[in-house]
Amino acid sequence: MDDHATVISMLNHTWFGSDLAPETQERLAKLGVIQDFEADEVILHEGDEANEMGILISGQLALRTLVPERGPVTILSVEPGDIFGWSAVLAAMQVQSTVVATEKSRALVIEGTKLRAALKEDHALAASLYPRVLQAVARRLRATRLQLLDLFAR
Amino acid sequence: MITTPAPSHAAAARQWFLARADLGALIDGLRDSGRRVIGPTIRENAIVYDEIQSAADLPAGWRDEQAAGRYRLERRADERVFGYTVGPTSWKRFTFPPNLPIASAHRTGSFGFEQPTPDAPPVAFLGVRACEIAALEIQDRVFLGGQFTDEDFRARRAAAFIVAVQCTTSSSTCFCTSMGTGPEVHGGYDILMTEIDEGFVVHAGSPEGAAIVAKLPTRRPSHAEAGAAVDNVESVRTQMGEPLPMAGINERLKLQLDHPRWAMVADRCVECGNCTMSCPTCFCTSVVERSDMEGRRSTTERQWDSCFDVAFAKVAGGDFRSRPRDRYRQWLTHKFSTWFDQFGSSGCVGCGRCITWCPVAIDVREELAAIAPPIAPVIRPVAVEPVAASPGSYSIARVATIRPETEDTSTLTLTDVDPAFLAGRPGQFVMIALPAFPAVPISISRFRANGIDLTIRAVGPTSTALTNLHPGAKVGLRGPLGTFWPVEEAYGRHAVVVAGGVGLSPLHGLVDALVANHDRFESVSLFYGSRTPEDQLFRDDLAAWSTGKAIDVAITVDRAGPEWKGRVGVVTTLFDMISWDCTKVTAFVVGPERMMQASVQGLISKGVPADRICVSMERHMECGIGLCGHCQMGGRFVCKDGPVFRLNELGDLFNREGI
Repeated sequence: MDDHATVISMLNHTWFGSDLAPETQERLAKLGVIQDFEADEVILHEGDEANEMGILISGQLALRTLVPERGPVTILSVEPGDIFGWSAVLAAMQVQSTVVATEKSRALVIEGTKLRAALKEDHALAASLYPRVLQAVARRLRATRLQLLDLFAR
Repeated sequence: MITTPAPSHAAAARQWFLARADLGALIDGLRDSGRRVIGPTIRENAIVYDEIQSAADLPAGWRDEQAAGRYRLERRADERVFGYTVGPTSWKRFTFPPNLPIASAHRTGSFGFEQPTPDAPPVAFLGVRACEIAALEIQDRVFLGGQFTDEDFRARRAAAFIVAVQCTTSSSTCFCTSMGTGPEVHGGYDILMTEIDEGFVVHAGSPEGAAIVAKLPTRRPSHAEAGAAVDNVESVRTQMGEPLPMAGINERLKLQLDHPRWAMVADRCVECGNCTMSCPTCFCTSVVERSDMEGRRSTTERQWDSCFDVAFAKVAGGDFRSRPRDRYRQWLTHKFSTWFDQFGSSGCVGCGRCITWCPVAIDVREELAAIAPPIAPVIRPVAVEPVAASPGSYSIARVATIRPETEDTSTLTLTDVDPAFLAGRPGQFVMIALPAFPAVPISISRFRANGIDLTIRAVGPTSTALTNLHPGAKVGLRGPLGTFWPVEEAYGRHAVVVAGGVGLSPLHGLVDALVANHDRFESVSLFYGSRTPEDQLFRDDLAAWSTGKAIDVAITVDRAGPEWKGRVGVVTTLFDMISWDCTKVTAFVVGPERMMQASVQGLISKGVPADRICVSMERHMECGIGLCGHCQMGGRFVCKDGPVFRLNELGDLFNREGI
């Protein structure tokens, strides 16, 4: 079991976790577990049941989608402070893209079932966590829209 | 020989000559008027201020040799009385005594506190220098200039008759010219004396001074004597050399509160407090209670204290300035910075006592220069006059090398160029042409010692023809044209370069300039985004910049295969890495217009001021000199008024469709 104080300290170094209420940070620390990933290690597989959400503490991850005849294409990289596997917040979702560590990385990983149960039963946790997840998804959506514009196209 | 204009007839008419042998008459006159005379006298191998009875007590024939941490008395070759500068004591000892009872209390029979009435019998200060008059005037502002006043000081100051003496010599530690306090005395005295070979040229500055002078055995000074008095003072200014650059020292120091030098000087400092004790303006005190054994009667005594004392900022819960570096910073920043905010001037008069009497020779002048050096004046360059400005008139250059950057983009290095191109500025462009091909505008991507680089994407007939040239081929050039990046305006700020795709080309020369002068910026960063890793320009340069320490480089691509280990995402996602105070950012942005809009939006949302964001606009250009009308953008021609614009110059034109 990770020392909760250490996990909270790590959360405080992320934009996602730094401004959360102490009770929420404590709850997240209890729910999750710190995991280390080696470079090239696959963390989540596209299409699998979404049952893990992570907050990246250090390192870098790539979100990859398999494109027929082109193979896996990296669509976004995840920097420390950001989340991955956000689909796990919703029930019966599939992982949207494969998550691969592009370098040695560390994350707080929360099991989806536990997370959803906690969000259902702890309204204070839900009230502070959902806007953060929405913010993270909105950032990703905004960036993806710009990518779609293909600004550098000839 | 210093040639100073002789004093005017009117000024000379107010002057008198007092022979050195008759100086005793001045002291007698001051004493006869009921004043105790305080003046320079030798005690323990130093010239100090103390009570004197006669001229025999004065240090006639002595001079002081001073340097950082060094003070020695030496015999002079003459018998000048004031042939020294300043010693360890200052007049604050008499206007603001080191120990002063300020209250008494009792509880014998009755209970009460009493405040003594200021006791300030008439006194004359003999030998007050220009810097010391400035120090007394600073004390006036500190003790009498605010809502609460020091009445003991007021009484002592009012009781003091000032006999000022012009400095006719200086020490290596003197810097009154830097602080604007000397060497000439300009006011604040009752009598002013200037010592010359035979005696003194004397001037009365008040009715009381005139009354004393009237009783002295004086005569009118000769023209030569009056002129020598002026020359002697002027020679001191020359001896002291160039004043220190003190302009803006208040703000300069406030910007350096985290400078590593504070710790370095604190390692040398022994915290003896000599600098504050010998300073003529330091006014910090503490209060000591003295009581009888039964606690029935007590006296409250004010004593000089020093901000270097380890307990000076101590409270029950701890010490606000526990480290020596904190205490040194407090002293220096108070003297040269926050004093301005509190009292309207520096707290330093440039007497140099803190330098001479520092046992480890810390020289405040050196510390100021190291911690808060003068900000180099920003010289804003002007654009060089272009060559072959008229359309159709070209200067011939030769292609030295051609390097492919990407599948469709190459960099041409041109030599044998007109020197005007070498004197161009990053951000400017040239019109380049080949026979049978219309001229196209191309940014200068690099300035070399004997040539320039043009990075060209093959998108049309001319650019395709240019990228297919071989070394040795000749091209026609006009320029350099247009506005350039205002690099100098980013000095002291965080310089952020945001480049998208081939937008790195007009920014390459800017990055070169930022890297070459990186120590003039708070930080230098490059955020570069391209479509894929294969679309990156200047890959060798990016690698070199990334491994150096002059610039932080963050690179991202919009899409990549699994072989790419770097970041993926649009360039604006890199802004999440910005941790600085964005009000201190100057940003330079180039890329496709939609990318620039997104970048500008991201930078502004982070707090970067609009007038600190520069963009380079692209428009159809044919003439490059504002005559063909193609590149008009609102009221501006991009070729002539741009291509580099500050965002606030463009206003609504930026981000507006159809302009």
